[in-house]
This record gives sequence, structure tokens and C-alpha cells, in this order.
Amino acid sequence: MAADDLTGLTDDSADGVDLTLILWMLSLTPAERLELAEQSANEILAIRELNARA
Amino acid sequence: MRELRYTATLRALSTGGVDFILVGGLAAVLSGAPINTFDVDVVHSREPGNIHRLLPVLDALDAVFRIQPERRLKPNASHLSSTGHLNLITRYGPLDLLGTIGQGLGYQDLIPHSVELQISEELRIRVLDLETLIAIKEELGGEKDRAVLPILRRTLEEQRKRSNP
Repeated sequence: MAADDLTGLTDDSADGVDLTLILWMLSLTPAERLELAEQSANEILAIRELNARA
Repeated sequence: MRELRYTATLRALSTGGVDFILVGGLAAVLSGAPINTFDVDVVHSREPGNIHRLLPVLDALDAVFRIQPERRLKPNASHLSSTGHLNLITRYGPLDLLGTIGQGLGYQDLIPHSVELQISEELRIRVLDLETLIAIKEELGGEKDRAVLPILRRTLEEQRKRSNP
């Protein structure tokens, strides 16, 4: 089966930066970005702690 | 685990009447950069009046130097007057108070390079703009700073496209 053409559906940046993530972040308000950063940092720390105990 | 509460830290500083500019990773996030960060970095005004307002806020936040948290060493007015970096731990997580950043840039130098952002109904804070953040990271040239530069540069490009379509 032929693979679907992803042209225009993904970001093939030469520097490896995911432009889709940047565009998504820019679509949020500063307050939403702050909340997201707080939540994701806490979730990462929780996973780290869980695995440190294991 | 101690829960990180960036908004609560910023609100405490703002409510206490402290003059500060948010810099570092969280400033980049607020500008739209998709990066993770685990501390709040601010450049505070080193004016005596501001230090006078900052000290009780730090006390309320239970701020101590985080290199040896068990010693419970609290920052004092002299520390806050210096151009150096104070790496603190508070009840809401790590907080870095920076007297200056880059090539000796203090609060007053950075004001023209900052923007005011609305965080909530009652909270509005000053944040270093992405252009200056990039310039400072380029100057510093450390591995950690270099690693994040491509993301910051692309974010700035997209930000500019949006403001000048």
C-alpha cells in the first residue's frame, strides 16, 4: 500500500524545530501558556518522582 | 512532591508591589515558545524601596537559598542589592532573583525591552521580549542556552509574521 502524502501536513524544518508546536503555542493566550507550563512541569515532576521510588 | 505554582509566585511578587521583569524559560513560554521549564527567573529592581517591598514577599513565600535548603539561609537586603543571581527555593518552587543578566543589564536597562502581559483579571506582569531573550542567550553561548535558540528564533519569526501578516 502506498504511503499517504504528508506534504503540507507536517513540518520538515531543517533545524529540527517543530513548527506545528510553535503555531499551537501562539494560538494560546499568555495565561493559557502559563497554565500549560505549570501543569506540564508538575506532571513531569510527578512521573520522575514515581519512577525514583520504583 | 512540592507542586510548582508559577502563577502564585508571580502573583505574590506583583501583589507585594515588587518591580520585576520575568525572564528565562517562563518568559519564552509566555511569548509562545514550546519549551519546558522548572523555575521562575526574574530580574528585580535593586532600588532600596523595591528591596524593602521584596523582602516580606520572600518571607511569605518561605524563600531560602536552594543550594543547601536544610540550612534555611534567607536572602537579605545586601544579597538583593547585588548584581548576582540568587537561586532560591520557595513554597511554590524554585525562584531565581537576578540582579543583572547578560552583559550587566539590570531592571532599568531591560524595561524598554519588555512587554506587559495579562495573566489573569487582576494580574499583569512585565515580561522580557523574545528578541532580547534570544540576544542574551546568544551572548551567553552556554550549551543549555544554545540548545534552545532554534526554537526561540522560529517562535520569534512566527510571532513577527502574525504581527505583520
